[in-house]
Amino acid sequence: MVTESDTESIQVEIVPSRFLMPATAQKLLNEIYGNGGIIRIMIHGPNLPRSVPYGPGRGVPIEENRDLLIEVGGQAFELCVKVGRIRLELESEKYFDGLKAACERALPISFQIKRGKFFHTRQTITDYAKFGKVEDTRILGLIDPKAKKDRMAILSEERVTIDDEER
Amino acid sequence: MAYTPQYYPGSTSVGINRRKHMSGNLEKLRDIPEADVTAIMGHRAPGADYSSTHPPLKEMGEPDCPVRQLVAPTAGAAAGDRVRYSQWTDSMYFAPSIPYWRSYWGAINCKGVDPGTLSGRQIIEARERDIEAYTKAQYDSEMTDVALCSMRGCTVHGHSLRLEENGMQFDMLSRTEMGADGNVYAVKDQVGIPLDKKVNLGKPMTEAEAKKRTTIFRADGVPMCGKVGVRKYDEAVEALHHMWELRSKWGFRPE
Repeated sequence: MVTESDTESIQVEIVPSRFLMPATAQKLLNEIYGNGGIIRIMIHGPNLPRSVPYGPGRGVPIEENRDLLIEVGGQAFELCVKVGRIRLELESEKYFDGLKAACERALPISFQIKRGKFFHTRQTITDYAKFGKVEDTRILGLIDPKAKKDRMAILSEERVTIDDEER
Repeated sequence: MAYTPQYYPGSTSVGINRRKHMSGNLEKLRDIPEADVTAIMGHRAPGADYSSTHPPLKEMGEPDCPVRQLVAPTAGAAAGDRVRYSQWTDSMYFAPSIPYWRSYWGAINCKGVDPGTLSGRQIIEARERDIEAYTKAQYDSEMTDVALCSMRGCTVHGHSLRLEENGMQFDMLSRTEMGADGNVYAVKDQVGIPLDKKVNLGKPMTEAEAKKRTTIFRADGVPMCGKVGVRKYDEAVEALHHMWELRSKWGFRPE
């Protein structure tokens, strides 16, 4: 029998039963951040366009979707989606229980949390078109194949970068 | 004895609600002013003239036709109005109406309409002053819950998505919003253009009430088979099986 090493990274998906308001999303992300051990994280949900994309009202700005700034770990970035699902990779299994407790603290609604494999490991053609040859495989699976690559925010200790274009 | 149409079988609450929707015998829950409904539809400014595609029928001189003599035109047709639409998106989380039942309601109870049923939205087209009246009837009746149903002319996404934290159906264009006073306000028209003033649509239904009024069969609500564990299925399923059998055999003639 093969015993799994407890130092291997694990992937987790958190699915709240409802879409989160930016304030709740911020609270949840901060709790997750405070728990530590994050290698990478993906926020998933329906797109929030900055202006009406089509129809007779095309181009009319949607003020409700603008400037949805949230602050995570002392760094601010802009939300582009309604948060409905969070996938993340943790350094090891020992952070999992803390993550579960963090979700329970932050979410006023029920949620599902499950372990599995949620990020792909091999580069796809779309990744190739978007990034060229990927050196750092941590970026694989972080953004929707159809989304532009600037949807990815790099939050590090030094800086936050996100170039969110007007759409 | 006068004939009473039997619209839908079954004794479940959903079956009863479906019959209510089809018969048009609906409870009125709210009264949204006509001008506000017109503003939300967004086809014309409230109080503006109706645009027309032809002169009024009286001025046109219609041909001698027995059907035209038999059928009175609707107000919109008589005036020569343009055909306009209203489109609804109903959440699958126990919204009172679902696309098919809005269409049944339209086709059975409204004159001169063209209902279109899609998986997550439902559109009715009719002459402008007729569709305004029909839309108001839908807004005011129990077919509509202001949090779980909304009028969406474009970007209709929302029917099959989870609700927002405050119980509203997700809307990419934020056409409705939950006010601090617990009322739902329409802030944009069908296609996402901001309204001059917010329209108060009233309080949304509670979850229990939405489940009571829904026409959606759901395993976590009222299942189509009726009460779980009984020896006999609800009549709705039996009727469905019967129709399925006849439809499958239809045209099959082993000779």
